Amino acid sequence: MGVHEIEDAALLFVFGYNGADSHPIVARRIVRAKQKGAKIICCDPRRIETARIADMHLQLKGGTNLLLVNAIANVILEEGLCDYDFIQKNTHGFDEFVETVKKYTPESVEEQVQVSAEDIRKAARMYATSGRSMILYGMGVCQFGQAVDVVKGLANLAIMTGSFGRPSVGIGPVRGQNNVQGACDMGALPNVYPGYQSVTDDKVREKFEKAWGVKLSPTPGITLTTVPHHVLHEEDPKKIHAYYIMGEDPAQSDPDLAEVRESLEKCDFVVLQDIYMNKTGQYADVILPATGWCEHDAVYSCCDRGFQKVRKLIEPSGDVKTDWDIIQSISAAMGYPMNYKNTIQIWNEVIELCPGFYGATDEKIEKNVCVQWPCRSKEEHDTGTVFLHRDGKFAHPDGKAKFAATDWRPPQELENEEYPLSFSTVREVGHYSVRTMSGNCRTLRNLEDEPGWIQMNPEDCQELDLKHGELVKVLSKRGYCITRCLPTDRVKKGATYMTYQWWIGACNELTIGNLDPISKTPEYKYCACRVEKIKDQVWAEKHIREEYEQIRSNMGIKVKGAVA
Amino acid sequence: MNGYVQGDPMLCIGCRTCMIGCVVAHEGRHIFEVDPDGYDFHPKLKVIKTFNVSVPVQCKHCENPACMAACKSDAIHMKDGAVQIDRDKCIGCKSCAEACPFGAVQMVTLKNEANIDGTPKTVANKCDLCQGLPKGPACLRVCPTAALRFVQEEDLNATVQAKRLGTLKLTVAAEAQQKQTPVCK
Repeated sequence: MGVHEIEDAALLFVFGYNGADSHPIVARRIVRAKQKGAKIICCDPRRIETARIADMHLQLKGGTNLLLVNAIANVILEEGLCDYDFIQKNTHGFDEFVETVKKYTPESVEEQVQVSAEDIRKAARMYATSGRSMILYGMGVCQFGQAVDVVKGLANLAIMTGSFGRPSVGIGPVRGQNNVQGACDMGALPNVYPGYQSVTDDKVREKFEKAWGVKLSPTPGITLTTVPHHVLHEEDPKKIHAYYIMGEDPAQSDPDLAEVRESLEKCDFVVLQDIYMNKTGQYADVILPATGWCEHDAVYSCCDRGFQKVRKLIEPSGDVKTDWDIIQSISAAMGYPMNYKNTIQIWNEVIELCPGFYGATDEKIEKNVCVQWPCRSKEEHDTGTVFLHRDGKFAHPDGKAKFAATDWRPPQELENEEYPLSFSTVREVGHYSVRTMSGNCRTLRNLEDEPGWIQMNPEDCQELDLKHGELVKVLSKRGYCITRCLPTDRVKKGATYMTYQWWIGACNELTIGNLDPISKTPEYKYCACRVEKIKDQVWAEKHIREEYEQIRSNMGIKVKGAVA
Repeated sequence: MNGYVQGDPMLCIGCRTCMIGCVVAHEGRHIFEVDPDGYDFHPKLKVIKTFNVSVPVQCKHCENPACMAACKSDAIHMKDGAVQIDRDKCIGCKSCAEACPFGAVQMVTLKNEANIDGTPKTVANKCDLCQGLPKGPACLRVCPTAALRFVQEEDLNATVQAKRLGTLKLTVAAEAQQKQTPVCK
């Protein structure tokens, strides 16, 4: 579905997605849907902005996603609210699905989920009967050790109610990073070439070998999150010796930072290509300075598969090159010359090699502003695909949707005596990702700056004798950081939340490297922590100032006030 | 009647773009200074978040302002349909901040202005409706969800009238009366 379709849904089922903080422009669509009369069901452990304006807020306990999703499916089944015609014609695996889901009655999960059976039933009825229900989900689904199963669970809800293949229905993943869709589209995954063409498919590989004039490996690579393991614990030939990092700051954004630092230190050769210095840069052997978003031409993919052009507005200054020029130069130095003159030449090659993108010519994107793939024909009438699965035709070889129900499993590290609180990373609206860019925007820094905040329920604060703004120490099994206490009744008792971009309040010191077995995404949304009061606040304030200066000096930052 | 900026909590997403828009409107080019200490970051409105509400709170430009009555140095005046603080006259006595029933006045320390003896200058700060800006208040222009609006006399009258109609509908007797009397044509 297209992002613009959000406005016209009859019901928005927003699950683990905080639009107001992650994507205010998408949040605007949610607000507009509400204005147009849509019902909203918000499933989130926090009282996020969407929860305030929702018709129902299911404030579930963190880590119980699949229990809730399966219980909703259970109600839809039990109360006969399925679209049996759609199920019969366009799906398979329904019987096995029923078998799994039938034990998840609302009554059996209400205690763990902390949402009453009655409310679960009510939400299920609303979702199944609105006529145009759309699911939006975000990192509150994906950043768990059990993530893909929950995505499939949400898809089950859409399949069983026939909520696919029409406008303003379906299931919308609202991505965690800008252009993460584009990175995947362009084959920045270990198992596919651009356009999601498998590296293990001989025909595909031959096509790319012919186009590029080189032999290519038929073996899938490894995922980003398993790099520390391959540096620290594998032997040759599986061991990683060199690590080339582009536009990413793993020493800030990856879980269990102590392990990440160890792997960056022990890796023989680290290259960082970025627009500003960052934490990872401190471990790099070579830094390749690249241009920023207004200094080069490019194509982005929006989360709804829409290709959009980014245009160069100003000439870059200083010793920098565009990313594609850097790659081209490195490639040439390694014995494979590339001779692209501009990004249009590169784009033309992309669409020639990817059938799903073939029709998305530069001229067409220019003319239509946005072209959503699949766009298979260069004819003018093919302006792309707004929503997928039209007429119930799905991407599986048999054209049918597949039910896939799994049993719930809890997060890996639960609250315990030593670490009695749950901990989750979240976003805040003013700072984007690891703040490589937004940290250099003065006014955004004026709104929020180091060392950030830990959101805690006022009752927990009272028990620990903590006041608003006080510096506290947050610890997990893996490490600790210092941040400020933010008492707020928008979070439940026993749960804590921090945003992950701060250098001092670096909450990924705490997070756990537990990965979803399929997506390999880490469990950023759940681990156990403890918050300690710091008696000497004067010392703590001085300590964070010194620490900040130390990090800046390690990064070689000299300009007063500049972040990097 | 003085106009005022009012936020709608059902539209607000708590993003605080209004606060940045306010600073940009009042600081102009200074915001491009690399050193964040090189300019003043004093938004004249503040987004407040409770369990059920997110919305910016700012001056209502009262017709008989408590802040103006409380001012000890004749620094607060009604000018062009807005309550204005004259920073040069403000002595930083905080009386207005205490007097304002809405919490719309905040004391701020200026980075680029000092008292005669060189000590940091602290003055009262609040919404001035971006007076002097041709396009009017910046906060409502930058809001991504159009959650802010400039309320003038006719807008307030319309709101009041709508509520009167609502009151009428609630009055059972009046409604019954309406049903009983047929329209003669």
